[in-house]
Amino acid sequence: MFDFRFYEIWRSQDYIDTLILGVWNSFWLTVVGSFFGITLGILLALAQGREMPLWLRIPAVSYVEFIRNTPFIVQLFFVVFGLPLLLGYAWSLEASVVLAIALNFSAYFGEVIRAGIQSVPAGQSEGAMALGMSRWQTIRDVILPQAIAKVFPSMTSQFVFLFLTTGLVSEIGVKDLTWAGRYVADRTFRDFEVFIVLTILYMGMVYLFKGGFALMFRAAFPWWGKSR
Amino acid sequence: MIQSQAAPQQASDDIAVTLKGVNKWYGDFQVLRDINLTVQRGERIVICGPSGSGKSTLIRCINHLESHQEGTITVDGVTLSDKMKDVEKLRRDAGMVFQNFNLFPHLSVLDNCILPQRRVLKRSKAEAREVGMKFLTRVRIPEQADKFPGQLSGGQQQRVAIARALCMEPSLMLFDEPTSALDPEMVGEVLETMVELAGTGMTMLCVTHEMGFAREVADRVIFMDAWQIVEENTPDAFFDNPQNERTQNFLSQIL
Ligand SMILES: Nc1ncnc2c1ncn2[C@@H]1O[C@H](COP(=O)(O)OP(=O)(O)O)[C@@H](O)[C@H]1O
Ligand SMILES: [Mg+2]
Repeated sequence: MFDFRFYEIWRSQDYIDTLILGVWNSFWLTVVGSFFGITLGILLALAQGREMPLWLRIPAVSYVEFIRNTPFIVQLFFVVFGLPLLLGYAWSLEASVVLAIALNFSAYFGEVIRAGIQSVPAGQSEGAMALGMSRWQTIRDVILPQAIAKVFPSMTSQFVFLFLTTGLVSEIGVKDLTWAGRYVADRTFRDFEVFIVLTILYMGMVYLFKGGFALMFRAAFPWWGKSR
Repeated sequence: MIQSQAAPQQASDDIAVTLKGVNKWYGDFQVLRDINLTVQRGERIVICGPSGSGKSTLIRCINHLESHQEGTITVDGVTLSDKMKDVEKLRRDAGMVFQNFNLFPHLSVLDNCILPQRRVLKRSKAEAREVGMKFLTRVRIPEQADKFPGQLSGGQQQRVAIARALCMEPSLMLFDEPTSALDPEMVGEVLETMVELAGTGMTMLCVTHEMGFAREVADRVIFMDAWQIVEENTPDAFFDNPQNERTQNFLSQIL
């Protein structure tokens, strides 16, 4: 029988601090990346609308295709190391990583939101336009709220999936939860215990996120499911 | 019941809508054929005809939800085209009520009335709320103001849709089969609201097969078949003594 020695992890304040920092970094990178990712995703979804000009639709479709068909790790290397060389800027590691995450997430969120927009009946925009609302007002005040409510469950699972992929940022030295796990394992040689602790922490965060999304849904869409 | 008005058109040169030689195609398929129609201000017109005859298309062209390819459409003196500057202004002058209500399910009944006033007329929140309540009272559902549309019956939803359109203070109201999606017991309440609206002198173009309503309020009934206007007459003459064979066939089916 394997001899579990979790105390090897707990006995050092340094390990505990590193794990806590890892949880925090994974948390905020995902939240901030998602904020920008969802914003950009909405724009990508709108840019692919049937009535949009081709010069907007083609780049938007190509971008989403490109992101979804290449590995995140490659995108990460490109944004963090490649782009600064190409464009001649120097950002902090955090800023570059947030950018990479946001660019990656946006394609996935964009696809979910696009499906949501398509599911809103055409009568909704006709109703709004017949009242004299402009195209942009119709999108913002009528279409998007309904579209996002409709795909909110898919957005939640997409979010969880994307959160779990952020472990890859440890590859370039970002001190996220995966990086913290490796740090502790390398020093304690208790890989299996560390693996179990990471699993529990990641799962705990997933349920925290899911709970947060459920609360947000109820606050933002009080009308959902209200029918006679 | 009010007697139908067989009187000739009002002697007024105040014209709300004119269509002259309007032709429209969907691709190769011609859906409107040489439509000519003049609507006086304050006039009530009922349009009927078989399904697919182009009735919806015709009234959707009047608020430019659809565009036409040939002929001219003029609404309140403004000629419609794809290049027209202020299509939003046209649309708030020509209110529209749809078969499926098209209320916004994510907004309360009152907010359905408030949103377009705020966005299009730039009214203050207080004023929009006041106007909204005024018209919800007019259609007799002020007590539903804070509910969501999904919580209302079909008849109530359609009355909200009418109130919402009236909040924009249109000079003309277009109705596209406003009672066709309703359970039979709810048709009456919506028609009653429309009759009351007619009583205020509103110019109305209604696609409907409700004969009682047509007889009670319409100044003219227009019959469409095969994408053109086939017959037009006062309601009594139209229903009691249809001239065209196609009209006779149609009426024998719906009576
Ligand atoms: N967007 C469209 N594209 C192609 N054909 C259409 C479209 N909308 C309507 N039609 C066709 O145009 C005809 C008239 O439609 P419509 O105006 O809705 O008739 P009605 O309201 O009298 O039932 C129908 O044959 C319908 O199939
Ligand atoms: Mg129709």
